[in-house]
Amino acid sequence: MRTLALRSLRHRASGFTATVVSVLLAGVLMGSFTPLLQRAFAGGIPSTDRQTLIVMGAVVGGIGMLIALFAVTSTVGVTIAQRDVETGLLRTLGATRSQVRRLVRVETLLVTALAAATGSLVGALVGNRALLAGMHRGNLVTASVSYRPGWVAAAATTIALVVAALVAAGVAGHRATRGTPSIVPGEESRGSERIAWWRWLLAVALVGYGITMGIITVTVSRYAPDPYDSMSTAGSDALLVGLGLAVICPALLRGFARIASATSPAAHLASHNLRRRSQLFAGVLGPVIVLTSAVVSTVILVGIDRRTLPPGHGADERAINTLNDVVVGMIALFAAIMVVNSFAAVIVHRRHELQRLRLLGADRHQVHASVVTESVYVGILGVAVGLVASLATIVPFGIARGEGVVPDGGLWLPWAVAAAVLALTTAAARIAVGRATREQALP
Amino acid sequence: MDRHTPPALEVQGLTRMYGVGAAAVDALRGIDLAFDTGSFTAVMGPSGSGKSTFLNCAGALEIPTYGRVLVGGQDVTDLDDACRARLRRERIGFVFQDFHLVPYLTAAQNVELPARLSGRRPDRRRIAALLDLVGLADRARHLPSELSGGQQQRVAIARALSIDPAVVLADEPTGALDTRSAADVLSLLRATVTDQGATVVMVTHDPIAAARADRVIFLVDGRVAGRMEHPTADAVAAQMSHLDELVEVRA
Repeated sequence: MRTLALRSLRHRASGFTATVVSVLLAGVLMGSFTPLLQRAFAGGIPSTDRQTLIVMGAVVGGIGMLIALFAVTSTVGVTIAQRDVETGLLRTLGATRSQVRRLVRVETLLVTALAAATGSLVGALVGNRALLAGMHRGNLVTASVSYRPGWVAAAATTIALVVAALVAAGVAGHRATRGTPSIVPGEESRGSERIAWWRWLLAVALVGYGITMGIITVTVSRYAPDPYDSMSTAGSDALLVGLGLAVICPALLRGFARIASATSPAAHLASHNLRRRSQLFAGVLGPVIVLTSAVVSTVILVGIDRRTLPPGHGADERAINTLNDVVVGMIALFAAIMVVNSFAAVIVHRRHELQRLRLLGADRHQVHASVVTESVYVGILGVAVGLVASLATIVPFGIARGEGVVPDGGLWLPWAVAAAVLALTTAAARIAVGRATREQALP
Repeated sequence: MDRHTPPALEVQGLTRMYGVGAAAVDALRGIDLAFDTGSFTAVMGPSGSGKSTFLNCAGALEIPTYGRVLVGGQDVTDLDDACRARLRRERIGFVFQDFHLVPYLTAAQNVELPARLSGRRPDRRRIAALLDLVGLADRARHLPSELSGGQQQRVAIARALSIDPAVVLADEPTGALDTRSAADVLSLLRATVTDQGATVVMVTHDPIAAARADRVIFLVDGRVAGRMEHPTADAVAAQMSHLDELVEVRA
């Protein structure tokens, strides 16, 4: 099975690029933060510094980790779902379910191990050094916290990423080997599938946790003497709700497609495609939701904080808000790359279908237009859901800091983010479909 | 033939229904057929006659609603999923219309795939002999993308024969081939039966393909509607047009 996995990898090296890219970047993102924790527990530093390191490593790093793991699991899932004909063929020829699942796991292990190790090392050696330098400049930690390479943290990051990828491969492999073995592509039936119970459970848990923390912000931590208490309970609520909604993307897509199907003929086709392929497009929609909710909520949070912080917190405020900006920048960049990445993964799968369209007489322009229309739909839905999710941070924090339900400033931001995300989504679709249809149409 | 030898493949009262209640569709309605070892049978019928469902049930891909499936005398109807997978890779050879070679394996590696799935070390000499048999000894190290359609189908036949199967199930094996490649593939299938003693059950639309078989079974609406021994292309074509009329009258 290992030999088969190796050959399969060599054959589809380009197909696995999406997985490698996401794991690599996730490694860099997580690897930049996890060494802070190792540093905090290594001893030999003042306790206030330790506190700061733990907050940075666990809270901020935790947000990055959630996004990174989400990106890795969704990319691995899409990559495996796209191979239904091949897994069906292997099973027809007599491979058992467990053999196919093992093949998928071994492949995922081979693909992710090196990328995760490389990413974590780059994160620990470059990202973490830069992060610490920033913390020194902002006087968040004293000079006694010098940079040291966090080998243990890098190793732990690598293992966490590989385990997450293997779990995703296990779930996707399970899905791929359900039912009767068949060499007929499953794309027609995909999308009518129900969402697994554990996804609903996870979604309810994440959304519930985010909303509960919001309620705690309004009822408890708003009265705390430290004004940063309300920030720590409200800060990641939007992301939690966003991730929770991203987990049930296919259901959101189907619901949205039903509403959107009554308009123009092109929109009619696009919405049917989204509904039937909701499982596939979920891989793109998820990152869009997470990107929108993380960016909008964090930037508005920082804005409220700047306006409402009581006097006497000047130095702290500057440092923390600068750091917030850096973190949101990193996360936004990561999520943006994931959006492009997941579009590439989804469109590569449709290369044959798009060529078939061209054989039927559609010109390149028409093929492009249909894919871009779909991406606009995904963008609109993702931005809308992401903005709703961002309310989980904005409303509680605004109330806690006395600005009320609607913040006093920064209301232009959601529009700017919406425009940027839509531009990014359609650009990603254009690039991916351009690559997919570059070749001549051949039967 | 020893009269105690069980048929290579036998189906008894094979029935397959899809859906339930008013939406239920009967794809197969009680089929009884036996395929002797060393025989070459063509299964023909109009679209929707149940040909594909028959092959899926015979190949232990689908479980029949009623009836039994016996491969080499062994009742395989109630086997669990893992046992059916093992049955497929050890007793049944599949040949598809679109070849379905694994794209990242060479011709030789595709032929040895069933052995590898069984966890056995492939017998190099046997693989080479099989590729020689299908006339592709010099293409062993080529990837499917470097082979013509006819060559790919011959690799697929070598793959099907590699396990020394009780029965080879071929689903429109010439459907995607040009006339000459199709003739080559049919001659190859004929030779595996005549010279190697293989058992082949072939679903086809093509009277010329069916004429290479020892007998033809005609399916209509999920039932056996006729048989023909020692078929000729003209006789098969005539029978087929007659079957089509029958279907129209019923509709």
